[in-house]
Amino acid sequence: MKGGVPLAFLAIVAAVWIALRLSQGPPTELAMDARPPTATGNVEGFRVDAWFLPDEELLGFVEIPAGPFVMGSDASVDPDAFDIERWSSTSAQGIVDLPAFYLARYEVTVAQMSAFLVATAGAIQAQALQTPPDHPAAFVSWPDALAYAGWIDATLRESSATPPQLRALLSDGWRITLPTEAEWEKAARGVDGRLYPWGSEPRQDRANYSSRSAVPVGSYECPECPFGLADMAGNVWEWTRSPDQPYPYDATDDGEGLEAEALWIMRGGSFGDGQSGVRAAMRGRADPGARRAFIGFRLALVR
Amino acid sequence: MAAARRRRRSAKAPVTPTPTPTTRRALYLPLALTLGLLTLSLLPRVQVNLRLAWSFWGASGALLIWQTVLFLRLRGASVGRSLESVLRPQHYVQAMVQVAVFAYWGWYWRPVYDFAVLLAAQLVFAYVFDMLLTWSRREKYVLGFGPFPIIFSINLFLWFRDDWFYLQFLMIAVGFLGKEFVRWHREGRNVHIFNPSAFALGLFSLVLITTGTTHLTWGQDIASTLTLAPLIYLYLFLLGLVVMYFFSITLIAGSAAVVLFVLSALYASLTGVPYFLDSDIPAAVFLGLHLLITDPSTSPRTPPGKLLFGALYGAGVFGLYMILGAAGAPTFYDKLLAVPLLNLSVRGIDSLVQIARESPALARLRIEWAPLTSNLAHMAAWIVFFGAMTAMGKTDGKHTGDSLPFWEQACAHDRANACSRLIQLETTYCGDNSAWACNELGVHFRRGVAVAPDSELARGYLARACEIRFQAACVNLLDPDGLNRSDPRPLDLRLLLREAGQNLMEMSEPGLYARACHHDWAFACSR
Repeated sequence: MKGGVPLAFLAIVAAVWIALRLSQGPPTELAMDARPPTATGNVEGFRVDAWFLPDEELLGFVEIPAGPFVMGSDASVDPDAFDIERWSSTSAQGIVDLPAFYLARYEVTVAQMSAFLVATAGAIQAQALQTPPDHPAAFVSWPDALAYAGWIDATLRESSATPPQLRALLSDGWRITLPTEAEWEKAARGVDGRLYPWGSEPRQDRANYSSRSAVPVGSYECPECPFGLADMAGNVWEWTRSPDQPYPYDATDDGEGLEAEALWIMRGGSFGDGQSGVRAAMRGRADPGARRAFIGFRLALVR
Repeated sequence: MAAARRRRRSAKAPVTPTPTPTTRRALYLPLALTLGLLTLSLLPRVQVNLRLAWSFWGASGALLIWQTVLFLRLRGASVGRSLESVLRPQHYVQAMVQVAVFAYWGWYWRPVYDFAVLLAAQLVFAYVFDMLLTWSRREKYVLGFGPFPIIFSINLFLWFRDDWFYLQFLMIAVGFLGKEFVRWHREGRNVHIFNPSAFALGLFSLVLITTGTTHLTWGQDIASTLTLAPLIYLYLFLLGLVVMYFFSITLIAGSAAVVLFVLSALYASLTGVPYFLDSDIPAAVFLGLHLLITDPSTSPRTPPGKLLFGALYGAGVFGLYMILGAAGAPTFYDKLLAVPLLNLSVRGIDSLVQIARESPALARLRIEWAPLTSNLAHMAAWIVFFGAMTAMGKTDGKHTGDSLPFWEQACAHDRANACSRLIQLETTYCGDNSAWACNELGVHFRRGVAVAPDSELARGYLARACEIRFQAACVNLLDPDGLNRSDPRPLDLRLLLREAGQNLMEMSEPGLYARACHHDWAFACSR
């Protein structure tokens, strides 16, 4: 071997090593496509210092009192009702008694999702972050939604920015997750059995449906809506933590049917649906891996 | 003797000198090829990824700059540059064999065909780089099929993903630089030490391992997808016979295979589990011992030397597989790292053989070398050996290590390496979108029994399984302590029971369950 050859050999090794170190990217196994460069800027009504959650006492969580409500659809009252909304062969609707819980006033936004991705160095499908920061986060799968819920739960427990009342709840055994479909339906239609959050007649001035795209969360005023929640009809479908099971609704059977192909319930309809799709009792089903422009989610605080 | 005659014939007959063109005209060829590389960058396969396109443009730009500098340097030079075309059988026969491997493998794993444009681009790059490197140092470039086996050989084992494809060009450049600069004197001639493709592969493998950047490449996929092609061992064996017949490499490939088979069998008899994951010799290693270590200019030329060289390769792969596994590095590098080390040992092997030949002790034993030099005799022995291995189920077909229930039980009984093999298998199947395998991994990482617990990794695997509609995984995601499991679904079984690459997508469900039962899946026997 010539004298300079070992040096040249070492130089090659060093060059290749440096090139590879420079090009080292994130592990791709569990990552998707996009990472936000930074969290999004200021969004009116939301706190930049609190991961873009609403600037409210409980960071947007609204209490839904304990008590029974009417679940499901009676086709004699609601001509748009689908068969899967019927309670049983003998009864059109059922009464479900729920303990108190909290539901987020707004759907989770793009800004909130960006904050999550920045904090966790996570990644998500690129389209999820391409809409304005105050729009609902879409293109999220069911596990993505759960991951966000798990992250914000852990973050709020540890952060000094968490409001005391919310901190007390979290310390007292409450946790942030997705709502069950019963919780969601109760929050949407209240306890008087109405068909839509604002009443029993369709109104396009109350929700974003039969349109071409999602709008910023809370864009539609709805003084008639129970509990003051926004966009419980239309804008984007919202994932729930309920698997697709036939009525009568029973949360205790959620862990059954493990052999079946997974389908999870989503609620509320989307901008692309007509009036029948945004009824409070409407049950949508989707693959947990579905990432679509019309599917988002909102959070629940439950015990 | 016959082999020697063939070598002499092949050295003389195919040489076809062409008229020496002027330097300017000679330089038109790399220029035209570089423009060809730029043209390839306009194809949709390249344009789909901007970083890939930039890799092409960067490589083309570097080549153009080099040509310009060379042109300016040679403008006033007294000695010009020229081309001579020489077609060597060891290049084009090997290239044809390699193309046959790509064609068959790609039929069953489509990314290979999708890669064709990038393969062509590498060839163009290699020709230009080789020409410019040669003309930067001497007058005459020998134009032939030389770059083909180098490029094909590299690409049978390692590709960089599109985002990092510039490193593929760099790897080729390193291969040619190694061939040009890393040389020694052997048998009175100045020759390159390393097989160019093996040099580049070995060097990059080393760097990829030490920097933990294997995910930048398709290496793991390449190593595991060869078996998607049915009867791949038989196919490689038959192709190998062509190479063996023409280039007398039977002793090298054969002794490597024999050593690997023997060591594998020994390990299995001692531990109760197979040494390699799903075969006695991984298909990619079987390919390597036919095409990667058999370069005549970087391997011994005497029969005993070839025997020793092959045996060392077999032992080297066996040992490296264990070392890499113990170090937590991807084990598919075993076949790549061994070759440069062997190339370095060639002069030592030559000396050993020489000493042995002159040894009075061996002379007393009346060892005659002559019978060992008949390549056809070696091939006959190899055919018998391969036939015996096949008859014993050691090549294509069902293998103990194919059965996941086998590894589950072996892991439960704490057999050597069984848990890591189980995790490795499940990781592969999860990567193939078997939701069952992803859920199993999630449960393993959550429980921390077969592996160290890792809740984040567990969540990632469970999320992946859930997204492929595996309900148990979704339920596990809801409950931080959830350890729900369920039996593989038909789609999972079509992946888990592939065994040597059979396509089970069209198999009826009763047939699938019967096959699963045969592979020790107890639940399937009652379906």
